[in-house]
Amino acid sequence: MTSIQPGRAWHPVASSGDAVVRHVFQGRLLGRELAVWRADDGYVNVWENRCLHRGVRLSIAVNDGRELKCQYHGWRYSNRTAECTYIPAHPADAPARTICNRTFAVVERHGLVWTTLELDRPEDLPVLPDDGRPLALRPITVAAPAAQVVDALRSYDAGEDLRLAAEAELLLRFDRGTAPGLTILVQPSDATTSVVRGVLHGVAVVDRDRPPLDLLRLHNRALNRVRARVESDLGPLQAEQQEPELELLSEELAELPPLSRPGRSASLRVRVERKWPAGADVAGFALAPLAGHLPAAQPGAHVDVHLPNGCVRQYSVVNAPGEGDRYVLGVKREPDSQGGSSCLHDVVREGDVLAVSEPRNNFPLRRDAEHTLLVAGGIGATPLLAMAQTLAHHGLDHELHYFAQTEDHLAFRDRLATLGGSVRRHLGLDVAATKARLGEILAGYAPGRQVYLCGPGPMIEAAREVAAQCGWPVEKVHFEYFKNAQEIDKESSFEVALARSCLTVKVLAGQTILEAVREAGVAMPSSCEQGACGTCLARVIEGEPIHQDVYLNDAEKASGEAIMTCVSRSASPRLVLDL
Amino acid sequence: MITLYDYELSADCYQARLALAVLGLEYSRVDVEFYPGREHETEWFTELSPLQQLPVLCEEETTLYDAPAILVYLASRHDPTASWYPGGDPALAGQVTLWLGFSRALAGSAGAARLHESLGHLTDIDAARSRAHTLLRVLDEHLWFGEQEGRDWLCATDRPTIADLAAFPDVALSEEGGVSRIDYPAVRRWTDRVKRIDGFVAMSGIFPAGPVAA
Repeated sequence: MTSIQPGRAWHPVASSGDAVVRHVFQGRLLGRELAVWRADDGYVNVWENRCLHRGVRLSIAVNDGRELKCQYHGWRYSNRTAECTYIPAHPADAPARTICNRTFAVVERHGLVWTTLELDRPEDLPVLPDDGRPLALRPITVAAPAAQVVDALRSYDAGEDLRLAAEAELLLRFDRGTAPGLTILVQPSDATTSVVRGVLHGVAVVDRDRPPLDLLRLHNRALNRVRARVESDLGPLQAEQQEPELELLSEELAELPPLSRPGRSASLRVRVERKWPAGADVAGFALAPLAGHLPAAQPGAHVDVHLPNGCVRQYSVVNAPGEGDRYVLGVKREPDSQGGSSCLHDVVREGDVLAVSEPRNNFPLRRDAEHTLLVAGGIGATPLLAMAQTLAHHGLDHELHYFAQTEDHLAFRDRLATLGGSVRRHLGLDVAATKARLGEILAGYAPGRQVYLCGPGPMIEAAREVAAQCGWPVEKVHFEYFKNAQEIDKESSFEVALARSCLTVKVLAGQTILEAVREAGVAMPSSCEQGACGTCLARVIEGEPIHQDVYLNDAEKASGEAIMTCVSRSASPRLVLDL
Repeated sequence: MITLYDYELSADCYQARLALAVLGLEYSRVDVEFYPGREHETEWFTELSPLQQLPVLCEEETTLYDAPAILVYLASRHDPTASWYPGGDPALAGQVTLWLGFSRALAGSAGAARLHESLGHLTDIDAARSRAHTLLRVLDEHLWFGEQEGRDWLCATDRPTIADLAAFPDVALSEEGGVSRIDYPAVRRWTDRVKRIDGFVAMSGIFPAGPVAA
């Protein structure tokens, strides 16, 4: 009597009209609290109602249209996947992918938002008579267990000619003559609370903006009468509180990670939903998931794209915050393509399925700067566009300086247009003019400013040089190279001790540290494998690295505390790594 | 010059601060330590406010010690558009007064439960909470049908009135008294709308709303 056994898996938890934009609806199902919110793209999220950090309810969070921001310490969670995208207390770091709130499946149908707490149950949404636009009644919360409420509703009488015609678990259907008239669903909120949700069928709605108020009031009065009767019959409730079943940490997170196969993995399958000319020599790609949701991409993140010809290439994700239904990439045709850009331009077509890695963010964006400069050269605009959209969405002060040959060479002009006045175009400048312009842009360093650079190698070199002359400290100058153009010396041979794994491996001439480590059975992530992306970084405990990458900045290189294992080597006979 | 005798954590004082803020009025504050100092029971304060009620508002010759009275006074005197207190429209003036009365009932239930929990004023807590839920049910129904009719506020006007400012504090702080708003979705949406009124100010325990959609 006092506890409700979950039966039917899917329950309505809100009216569609409850989930208005820029609001978080507080819901409850079978004793579990839910935060229900609609993003500006229309998607309704149903999440566990707590922030992963300190457990504060997300129903008091800020819905900014793309993300929920917890009111306590500002953790941000992405539309659709509930992955944490930013932690203000760690502004320089990209949150780990495992920081992800619990989401529940959602279906919006019959004017109601439905969810299920049971992950392994197939979809068995009750089928309601669907006759055009269903009209959801005002939900009525009753302080009584669901079974009692259903009992009382069997004799529901709104004064209309409605007759009980069909009954299923927590569902009653009333017909008018032979036509379906009203379906009443009882949502088991917890052991002592239920919500009565009615859906009227066959209502002739003349004006979409003017609901038939008389009808809504009629049923509201009748349902209030039912509530009054049930609550007075029941008296004060003594039922035991229903505790939601809290699942244990998943095995995957509780156990040591399994030994993974060495090499780069592509865990996602995506379909090329759209391919279009996004600028001169630039192909835009929208990659949609084959099923489910794509992991959220933080600004600055890239994915590995595994191509039909066997090549693996890295492309920055252009997505704006909360844009979770696809990844948008921009691929420039390289005249000296080794098979990457030419394959994407010439071979890959709309409808093709590609394997891509989860997004990785080795170029994270701080959001605590008073002013952020984004300096893009050519296709280097892609990660910076993601950053600019984020800063614009948060209302943070920034400028995007975009160097390109001509107006036609600017990529993603539709997105640039949404950024308005923060975009500065610098077109057709030669090397000397570019350097002079960089001098103007980077002049006037002040504490509280940050600069992010991405573009062709020589341009980043020039910009870093100019920034240093203008007094920018190295830690305020962030950069990402497309590729490492340096000549890599692989001739030396040395020993690498892996402190955590208690292993010592020999790195032979012609072999990389990454290869030697993987050969010894130690899993190590990697992406570009040429010292540009930052994925295979290892911390150095002892020894003297010879840096051959373009990821670390000069200060990081001089400190000798980190090494890119795909290209760098050791000057000392022995290197101890934190692996 | 307006002077407000104010206690930071008082919902009634917050009504007055809200009204002063949305009307864009400057004022000076005199802090009265309601808890734990019980300064409202001192002789000097009783002279100002015979019922020992906070807040008290003084402007020139006027001294008022009741929150609804202060709201009516401020809006009548300082809002030339007469939208915050549409006293010239009999039906609207009646509605405003109705909801001002409702706000006193909220103060006596949800507000009393909060004072019981956090500020040392003991009351029959179960009765206070039960009464608060009764009022919130009425408020939710009124606001839900308002949304259906295209009305965002308590009174039948397209602008918020002092009725919204008067009812808001004890509703928005109800959870501090153990009165959850989970069962009142239309009330929760209305509190978001109030938070987005131009000039809105928050207080301890009330979080600001996020940006509106472009």
